[in-house]
Amino acid sequence: MVPFEYYVTLSLILFVIGLAGVLFRRNIIILLASLEIIMNALIVLFAAISFHAKDISGYLIVFFLIGMAAAEAGVGLSLAVLLYKKLKKVYVDEINFYRG
Amino acid sequence: MNWNMLIFLYLAFAMTFSSFLAIISRNPVHAVLWVLVMILHQAFLLYTLGSEFLTAVQIIVYAGAVLVLFLFVVYMINLRKEERWKVFVRRSSYGFIIFLFFLYFFFKNLAFLTALGPAFKAQLPYDLSQGSNLLWMARYLYSHYLFQFEVIGCILLVVIFGAVFLLRKLKEVG
Repeated sequence: MVPFEYYVTLSLILFVIGLAGVLFRRNIIILLASLEIIMNALIVLFAAISFHAKDISGYLIVFFLIGMAAAEAGVGLSLAVLLYKKLKKVYVDEINFYRG
Repeated sequence: MNWNMLIFLYLAFAMTFSSFLAIISRNPVHAVLWVLVMILHQAFLLYTLGSEFLTAVQIIVYAGAVLVLFLFVVYMINLRKEERWKVFVRRSSYGFIIFLFFLYFFFKNLAFLTALGPAFKAQLPYDLSQGSNLLWMARYLYSHYLFQFEVIGCILLVVIFGAVFLLRKLKEVG
């Protein structure tokens, strides 16, 4: 049986990697993929809590999180396609549409 | 060192490595495929955490739907490779400060989160001798979590409407 601390450490490492992707990348597709990595860190954490505490809520929260991630990817990617159709740009530091 | 530990260490290493490669690769198709590798490893991690149903949902929804959506968008908007990598890193010092702040915050709370695990009192307990994991999940999903289940359904419906509404044919004004 793997200790609970290992799962928490794995979740934190994945969260930090996803956060670095959100903060440091310019491509909006890779930015949304980094948000998926952050969601996966939360999934690992909730499933580990549910496994170690013998409680079912963590698994159900993982189920809801997967649905939320699908919804977030749908909205985010449709916004990315809309930005590309309007501005022909996908890099977030080139998008200065509202800056005047 | 037993087999569970070895399998966990392999999965943790593979997930960390592939997500790291996903955020440093310059070609977006490679990034999405590395995220796919991470998600498949995570599906097996959910299996070792005792939930077969979530493994299936992870593979079907993430690897089957979300990443195919990502690949469609990557092919649709015809990205070029990223050239100005160094310039953006030099200019993103605010992002680096925020990143260091979050790093400090989360490693400070690591002890708190690890202490949370054994102290957590099971509110909705399950017993694997009385039925499988899927049976217990269904039992609680349709009794305690029914409202949240309906809310997730409404959110997905609104997402369908939103995607269709956002990507409709834009009317030329002026």
